[in-house]
Amino acid sequence: MLSIKNLHASVEGKEILKGINLEIKAGEVHAIMGPNGSGKSTLAQVLAGNDAFEVTSGSVTMHGEDLLEKATEERARDGVFLAFQYPVEIPGVSNLQFMRTSVNAMRHHRGESEMNAAEFMKLAREISKQVDLDPAFLKRGVNEGFSGGEKKRNEIMQALMLQPKLAILDETDSGLDIDALKVVSDGVNALRAEDRAILMVTHYQRLLDHIVPDFVHVLAEGKIVKSGGRELALELEERGYAWLGIKDDETAASSALSNSAN
Amino acid sequence: MKPAPSLLSSAFLQPAGQALPAPLLALRKQRGAALVDMPMPTRKTENWKYSSKYLKLTDEMATSLPTAGKTGSALAVPGYKVAFINGVMVPEASEYPDLNDILIQRFSDLSDAEASELAERLDSTLDAKAVQFAGLNTARFEDGLVIRLKPDAVLDQPLFIIHEVTADASGSAFPRIFVEAGRNSQITLVEEFISSGQEAVFVNSVTEFTLAEGANVTNIRLSMGGENVQHIGATGVTQQRSSRFESHCVGFGGPLRRHDLRVRLEGKGAECKLNGVVVTQGTQHYDNHTTIEHVAPNCDSEETYRNIAADKSHAVFNGRIHIHPDAQKSNANMSNKNLLLSTGAEIDTKPELEIYADDVKCAHGATIGQLDKESLFYLVSRGIGIREANVLLTMAFINELVAQIPVDAVKDTVQIRLNQFFDQAFQEV
Ligand SMILES: Nc1ncnc2c1ncn2[C@@H]1O[C@H](COP(=O)(O)OP(=O)(O)O)[C@@H](O)[C@H]1O
Ligand SMILES: [Mg+2]
Repeated sequence: MLSIKNLHASVEGKEILKGINLEIKAGEVHAIMGPNGSGKSTLAQVLAGNDAFEVTSGSVTMHGEDLLEKATEERARDGVFLAFQYPVEIPGVSNLQFMRTSVNAMRHHRGESEMNAAEFMKLAREISKQVDLDPAFLKRGVNEGFSGGEKKRNEIMQALMLQPKLAILDETDSGLDIDALKVVSDGVNALRAEDRAILMVTHYQRLLDHIVPDFVHVLAEGKIVKSGGRELALELEERGYAWLGIKDDETAASSALSNSAN
Repeated sequence: MKPAPSLLSSAFLQPAGQALPAPLLALRKQRGAALVDMPMPTRKTENWKYSSKYLKLTDEMATSLPTAGKTGSALAVPGYKVAFINGVMVPEASEYPDLNDILIQRFSDLSDAEASELAERLDSTLDAKAVQFAGLNTARFEDGLVIRLKPDAVLDQPLFIIHEVTADASGSAFPRIFVEAGRNSQITLVEEFISSGQEAVFVNSVTEFTLAEGANVTNIRLSMGGENVQHIGATGVTQQRSSRFESHCVGFGGPLRRHDLRVRLEGKGAECKLNGVVVTQGTQHYDNHTTIEHVAPNCDSEETYRNIAADKSHAVFNGRIHIHPDAQKSNANMSNKNLLLSTGAEIDTKPELEIYADDVKCAHGATIGQLDKESLFYLVSRGIGIREANVLLTMAFINELVAQIPVDAVKDTVQIRLNQFFDQAFQEV
């Protein structure tokens, strides 16, 4: 489904991604781990089409089509979804208006008729329940005044509404307490499907207790330095990034223990 | 190149229409005489610093536009209606009830005694030095409208005043309105400035409100004239004890748009709420100058203005709050936020605070920014088209103010005009 070949990207002239290679098939769940600053969010943003990052070489195809030449909204309509590490607050645009515009843009793209307000509300209420968000939040500005955990749940809610082909989750687990982590991972597990791929970016291994990945990749200084099955995450937790000769301010293991302090 | 004339051309001091009661004719003459040496604003005129270059009056524009034979706007309104054409009220196109406690009269229909009383009060709400062109309106008005609400009178529906200028030839119009709101009376007055025709015209309007104790007045002002209309307008308000004045000014740019709004809180416990939205595009201009005078103690003022400038347009906001020495326990809040939709657009904003009392709460803030790139990316990453994302974010900037407009039909008119603005502004996005 997704094929990344020798991807290089830079921001403000500084090279961040230094040759990423990754193949993801439909139905698979991949986890990308790595210390802070290794380029995980950069990869996620580049895939979603953020033009703050410049792709200097390499290619990305999805379902055989060149993804990089498409505008962000086209990628989204083709099924790329990014759950942001830091979802932005947009006062003045209500969550309801935002999500309805988004859902209808997708439907329009598929040649389907728009969802009317009542149909949309029904769907939105159901899914907000699924991620344990009070439906009253729909009336508020997009992410406005949301706690960190609410923002993450809102991202998962959008993924559930939009049913993407490729869901990229950028540290959707960070800043969550145990209960919220459960809600979010249940949401992600609900997304697992044969025709859908999930790329999970995480700094910690604890999310992987709830969402079991098919593959784990370790990103360091803009390159994937090791790939393996889920046992790689466990090994990392035990031995820390230093085991792979990677510098990190905090080891994966110690940060996994400090989860509720976030 | 011919140097710009430095004095107001004498051609502008020839009023049309002699059908007014003697006291008003006399007032007009007196004001005209006082303007003989009126200097035209230049870059060096402090309150016209950013706008003088847009003011381009020619002698062809000095003549009053004809009013004879004009029928007035056919615009349907959900309320009472007074149609003005080229500064003169057209009774045939107007529709309002004949009430005992609310009198709506043309200046020309007043008795000498009434006219003499009115002459005393005209211009009393404005500061002649700060609002130079209001005097020109008084020197030139051809007729005018006075609305008097007796104590406790309540107008049950909004009164729409449709100020239309027919620009089939060059010329000018001087609409004048005076509203006297008696004790505990209530009125919502909507003023819509519109135009037809393509010739270069000048509109110089003045609307005044005096609010007696406990009066409650809402004024909605829509400036929607064409690209050929230079419009200088002033609104003056004086408020007595416990009265409330609310204003919603929505302005679409033009070759020259200037609105001076001055509110004097003269009685204890009076309050005013001033909202403003301005959008400009192309090479348009819009300049809002507001002044709130806290004269009496315990008064509240809340002012919220938003400007959006696209393309190569230019918006100006100058907000002055003056708290007089006796105005203890004043509460004044002023917020001005500005959005530049292109690098070629310009917005100038200047808050001016003069505080002479010590026990006051006064907060102000002004910002100028662009649409947030991160927010745009977030929206398009959800499949929303880039144009629509721009519109959503721009609308978000003024949503709250549009939502507060208390007459739905006006809100709809504003939204339609805003959509046209977005169509143009984001054409190339
Ligand atoms: N917008 C940006 N401007 C400048 N530098 C950036 C920007 N975004 C990321 N970087 C830099 O790129 C590197 C990788 O960042 P990021 O992809 O966010 O890492 P991770 O998500 O793995 O923590 C870091 O050194 C970071 O400082
Ligand atoms: Mg990151």
